[in-house]
Amino acid sequence: MRPQWKHGTVALLGLIAATGAALVAAPGDTAQAQATYEIAPRAPEYLYARTCGYCHGHNVAPLIRGRNLPPAVIQAVVRSGMGAMPAFKPTEITNTELQALAQWLSTAPADPQEHGQ
Amino acid sequence: MSSPGNGISRRELMAIGGAAAGIAAMTPLAHARMLPAEMDRDVFAAACRDLRAIVGDDWVFADEASTISYRKSEIPDLRGEHIPSGAVAPASVEQVQAILAVANRYKLPLWPISTGHNMGYGMATPASSGQMILDLKRMNRILDFDAELGTILVEPGVTYQQIQDYIDEHDLPYWIDVPTVGPIVSMVGNTLERGVGYTPYGDHFFMQCGMEVVLADGSILRTGMGSIANGNTWQAFKWGYGPYLDGIFTQSNFGVVVKLGMWMMPKPPAYKPFMVRHHEVEDIAAITNTVRPFRMNGLIPNAVMMMGALYQLAMFNRRADLWNQPTPIPLEVLKGHARRNDIGVWNTFFALYGTDETIAATEPIIRGAFEAIGGEVMTDAEMSGNPYFEHNKTLMRGGLTLEEKGLVRWWGRSGGAVAFAPVAPAKGGETAGQTALATEVMNKWGFDYAPAYVVGGRELHHIIFLMFDKGSDESSAKAEQCMTEMITRFGERGWAAYRSAVSTMDLVADQYGATNREVNARIKQALDPNHILAPGKQGIA
Repeated sequence: MRPQWKHGTVALLGLIAATGAALVAAPGDTAQAQATYEIAPRAPEYLYARTCGYCHGHNVAPLIRGRNLPPAVIQAVVRSGMGAMPAFKPTEITNTELQALAQWLSTAPADPQEHGQ
Repeated sequence: MSSPGNGISRRELMAIGGAAAGIAAMTPLAHARMLPAEMDRDVFAAACRDLRAIVGDDWVFADEASTISYRKSEIPDLRGEHIPSGAVAPASVEQVQAILAVANRYKLPLWPISTGHNMGYGMATPASSGQMILDLKRMNRILDFDAELGTILVEPGVTYQQIQDYIDEHDLPYWIDVPTVGPIVSMVGNTLERGVGYTPYGDHFFMQCGMEVVLADGSILRTGMGSIANGNTWQAFKWGYGPYLDGIFTQSNFGVVVKLGMWMMPKPPAYKPFMVRHHEVEDIAAITNTVRPFRMNGLIPNAVMMMGALYQLAMFNRRADLWNQPTPIPLEVLKGHARRNDIGVWNTFFALYGTDETIAATEPIIRGAFEAIGGEVMTDAEMSGNPYFEHNKTLMRGGLTLEEKGLVRWWGRSGGAVAFAPVAPAKGGETAGQTALATEVMNKWGFDYAPAYVVGGRELHHIIFLMFDKGSDESSAKAEQCMTEMITRFGERGWAAYRSAVSTMDLVADQYGATNREVNARIKQALDPNHILAPGKQGIA
């Protein structure tokens, strides 16, 4: 699930057309500003792919899917950053998002595509 | 030690549980927060009340449990010198202005961060304990993306991942240029620290164009063309009129940058990454001399990385997997591991961008030069799928990866890494000399030398990751002493760092001389007379 901006959507005026590598754009083409600061909660799978999955399951950090890790432990580790792991702040992953992420991850089956140590 | 069946030991669970409750701190130094020096508890509480009135209760963090994320860092801090008092997270320029007014009123020092993932340099932690983190992550809008000019205007909380998602969503023909930990870090933060990337747009500050700065008194400065009435050139022309001011807001504490313009690289029709293997430590001099002319004449358009095997191996291996002795890894052992992974002792990465025709015309010239110094020139044809090749191949097209986070785990689960990044002219004698000196000092303290050189143009950055075991006070102490000796001894040879961890900002600032420090101090006094913005940043009080 992509993040949904609460008010208004991100839109390009006169969306550019790209043919091959060449940029074909009409004068004045520009993207509109993203409309608000607060974003609707992002789904656990989306957050996992864009944050956790860069290390976990990618030979950098331990596998965490399929291990039935307790949600409370997941939340604490994300906030405090155990060992070499960075800590993620409520401004990066909100408490609501983290709760859902921890719940999902605690029961997420192992992914055979992942590899780790 | 028994385990609940998910691979986590009871001891680890207890530590995690303690961290969650904010009671992990068994010593004062392990506390997540510390009040500003000479500020009474009730004054701090009053300041927090005022801050809550601005941003709401949810966005002021002023207790152990909620501050723990801001305390996290992987550099040594044995004496608790980099512990924040809390954090406040505004969502708008107006809120930043209001927060600065509160900070001036209470003399509350603020340490601005964009995302606070300054790897190797202290993450979100401040130069001195007691500062309150000014967390700008909630200011996360892409304000403008001019698809015709290839320019972007972003707020501090915008990550490279967010920009890439935006590009994908709108099918824009541009590439991002990422720093090492692109997915989770801010374009504004990295650019303000004068970080570098891997594509032809890798010198981030060079590609920066226009900024908006909130000064300590709340006034708003737009640099370059940004203040022209009805102007539309803010992201097109860097220099404006009169003194060029953008530079004084980078690596500085003179203001809070809340908007930043950048140029984006047009996506090229063709991209071809290369890796050149060399097998002896001494080869670094010839490699440097071969790279330099190609960077000066632009035949190689991107910053060239000369990666040491140990830096690369540390991404995907723990030290114990490669060497089970406490002494530094012997060169012959390192060579063996490099050979088994199809990499050299030095691996030089660059890429060609353009069309198939331009690449075909250029490749033989560069290939010939490297082969003349004994290099094995490899491409996708030979190296596709090799994780070390794929890593730099990803970076040189602006791809997102966190693989270099693996370096922090070199000594094990506790992590520990601090970066030292001296710069030098891009000449073979310099790289040979720096490699010899770094190896000597690091091995003396029992650490492995993990180097990466980046040749920008006429200069090179030498990125040395001092990896240690933060779980051991002894290892942390040695890391600290080793870093001090390296900075000092490199300084004696005229080599100074372009950037520094929060723990060594004064030491490095001294090397740039008394007059530099004095000028910075005078600017600081003029712009921030109460010294509320990031005191100690780059040695500026």
